[in-house]
Amino acid sequence: MNLDAQRKLAWQTYQRLPLPSRRDVDWQRFDLRALNLDAIEQRPQSLRVTLNSAPGVTLAPLTDHPQLGRAIAADEPNKFAALTSALWRHGALLHVPANHKTCRPLEIIYEFTGDNAAAFPRTLVVLESGAEATIAQKFVGTGTGIHASLTEVFVNEGAKLHYVSHQNLAPGALDFTLKRAHVARDAEIDWVVGMFGGALTRYDVECVMDGEGGTSFMYGLGVGDNRRQIAQFTRQHHRVGNTTSDLLFKNVLRDRAATNYSGVIKVEKNANGTNAYQSNKNLVLDKTVQCDTRPVLEIESNQLRCTHGATVGRLDDNQLYYLRTRGLDDTTARNVLIEAFLAPVLDRIQIESVRNEFAELIHRKVVR
Amino acid sequence: MSDPTPTNPSSPREYKEGFHDDIKAVKSVPKGLSHDVVDYMCDTKSEPDWMREFRHRSLDLFLKQDVPAWMPGLRDEFNYDEFTYYVSPVEKSARKWEDVPEEIRRTYDKLGIAKEEQKLLGGLGAQIDSEMAYHNIQESLSKKGIIFLSCDEGLKQYPEIFREHFAKNIPPEDNKFAALNSAFWSGGSFVYIPKSVKCDVPLSVYFRINAEQFGQFERTLIICEDDSFCHYVEGCSAPIYTTNSLHAAVVEIYVKERARCRYTTIQNWSTDVYNLVTKRSLISAKGVMEWVDGNLGSKRTVKYPSCYMIGEGAHGEVLSLASADKGMWQDAGAKLVFLAPNCSGRINSKSISGHGGRSSYRGLVQVAKNATNCRAQVNCDALILDPRSRSDTYPTMEVNGDLATVEHEATVSSVSDEQLFYLTSRGIKKEDAVSMIVNGFIEPVVKELPMEFAVEINRLIGLQMEGSVG
Repeated sequence: MNLDAQRKLAWQTYQRLPLPSRRDVDWQRFDLRALNLDAIEQRPQSLRVTLNSAPGVTLAPLTDHPQLGRAIAADEPNKFAALTSALWRHGALLHVPANHKTCRPLEIIYEFTGDNAAAFPRTLVVLESGAEATIAQKFVGTGTGIHASLTEVFVNEGAKLHYVSHQNLAPGALDFTLKRAHVARDAEIDWVVGMFGGALTRYDVECVMDGEGGTSFMYGLGVGDNRRQIAQFTRQHHRVGNTTSDLLFKNVLRDRAATNYSGVIKVEKNANGTNAYQSNKNLVLDKTVQCDTRPVLEIESNQLRCTHGATVGRLDDNQLYYLRTRGLDDTTARNVLIEAFLAPVLDRIQIESVRNEFAELIHRKVVR
Repeated sequence: MSDPTPTNPSSPREYKEGFHDDIKAVKSVPKGLSHDVVDYMCDTKSEPDWMREFRHRSLDLFLKQDVPAWMPGLRDEFNYDEFTYYVSPVEKSARKWEDVPEEIRRTYDKLGIAKEEQKLLGGLGAQIDSEMAYHNIQESLSKKGIIFLSCDEGLKQYPEIFREHFAKNIPPEDNKFAALNSAFWSGGSFVYIPKSVKCDVPLSVYFRINAEQFGQFERTLIICEDDSFCHYVEGCSAPIYTTNSLHAAVVEIYVKERARCRYTTIQNWSTDVYNLVTKRSLISAKGVMEWVDGNLGSKRTVKYPSCYMIGEGAHGEVLSLASADKGMWQDAGAKLVFLAPNCSGRINSKSISGHGGRSSYRGLVQVAKNATNCRAQVNCDALILDPRSRSDTYPTMEVNGDLATVEHEATVSSVSDEQLFYLTSRGIKKEDAVSMIVNGFIEPVVKELPMEFAVEINRLIGLQMEGSVG
């Protein structure tokens, strides 16, 4: 299907799907009054794209590409994904040829500007077999209005991708994001996703395990302050057996923030030898917040091991007490524990500058 | 612990309670649900006007309400007009076993119910179809002021206590099937434990569906006053027909201050029965509620025993065991709702899916804003025995505010090759080894059951297990 046909179909999908409402179980905790989709197709799209490439790979503005829309189809039953598929004007294509290994991080930066504007950044990442790459993707800017993004990733046979992405939009932005990776035989993806900004942010992060020996490590970090509403939907889809997926999403909440984690491990029939893990941990810093978590397992195969866990808790009094007996004041002791809570996610980031950026954002937003 | 002796291979499980007796109905109504049926029931039970109004209102609510969206499949699976909503094989409930009509006694003898009364029970009730055929309590217990009656008798003899509690915990507005029960309820137990009285022997009720295409709607109301204790045990079974039956019970429990109540269910319906049950306890300050919920039968079970902790320091606990064999879908789970400070709760769920069965854990832990310092712990373990079976886990945790600790953990796995290898290398037959591993898996729940039930569970699970792992 060519690009125009895709856009047309996606627009039909967008119009067919109902607006999310509080009656919908996924949205019941969220305040959607600020969501305004009137004449969305005529809204000015203001997005600046910066690409920092490396020799031997293609990193270019996205135009039509044969892989485009193969992971996220135009009739994807997701209103905001369909909207992006229909209306995107800006995007990036990253193509790493077979067996090519780059160690320098490739950068994709989307900057959203304008008032009551719209932005639909779309990213396509293709690693051919045996390739290796590291990507840092950022969504930043002072823009307000609708920000909906799509990222499609193909990690082909034996390829290896380290992918770090974060969103730090302005408080007036409503962000809807879908990221999906297809992981082929013996391929590996190791991704870290940070959610730092926006009034409301919905992140769908999915891996589809298509080939035996594939591995996906998914790490996420949500920072809730300033009434931010964060909805996280993760999906670990094991289509074939002998695949591994591991997931850890951590959130810190304060100041009337709300988070809703909802994750599924889906193991299809005969996907024997699947090893899947899913964990969502939430740290609640004051009593004004709301924290929901719903980790789901759907298993149709019997030779496997799937485990999940979820916790909601506060800072441990014993640990605070211990730190204070060592001479730390109360605030410092709390900060140390908050940072320690998030450390397992931060440690997964292999690009030092990005890791420092994450740490800095955390420091500014939740550590007091 | 009983010895997990496996019986002869029979795959899937043989249902020995599936027989059917010809028991003549003394009273019954035409098929289908209508306000006329409600009126007939009120007349034959000579109920007060408020109950008549309540039933009619409930039926209207039932017709208006939808099956909740998260309950997959139930919407069009059956036609409510196929069922008969009231069938009574007895004139009135007997106090002496000899007074029970002989044909009904025979049914219960086959099920081995009456024998158990002398051995271990403080009171026994036996419901067949819509009515209690038998209901009796030991004299020593009734002298202490303990009331153990059928729910209908409770309404007649203790109208004030009854009305104060009835449908206050689970109103017909709660869900579609609670509304259905509220409209057609009949039978079930009314238990009242006075202040500071400990009922140290279990009270037990056995529910039997004998009629075909029938809807059983028993209603149980248990009130444990301050500092009291009681243990209530229920069991159930039904014949195998080619048509479906419906069982929609409502169980309301009030655990007052510092009281403790334990409610044990061994559900062993035949695979014709849709088992759609609402069970809820309200727990006051420092009260303790324990649900022990064993689901071994039925075509489809939808049941989540709930603990609503409304008083400071209350504790709620649910032990759930589900075994989904061929033709079954056990959608079981639990709910813990924290509405007061310093409460704690625990859910421990074990499920086994085999022979193409599906078991789902569906649970909710909810912490209200002012419920500070609450702790909840949820553990779900699932065993999946063959590639045709399915296991799901759908937990939801909703926490408002801080100062709560909520933990959930679940695993799904098969019988591990390593364990099997170890046991077979010691000379144990593979089948016996599997059976031992499964028994070990469910042991934390089974050890909480009264001895006789534990033996029965092990036998039933043992039967389901036979020849299931290749």
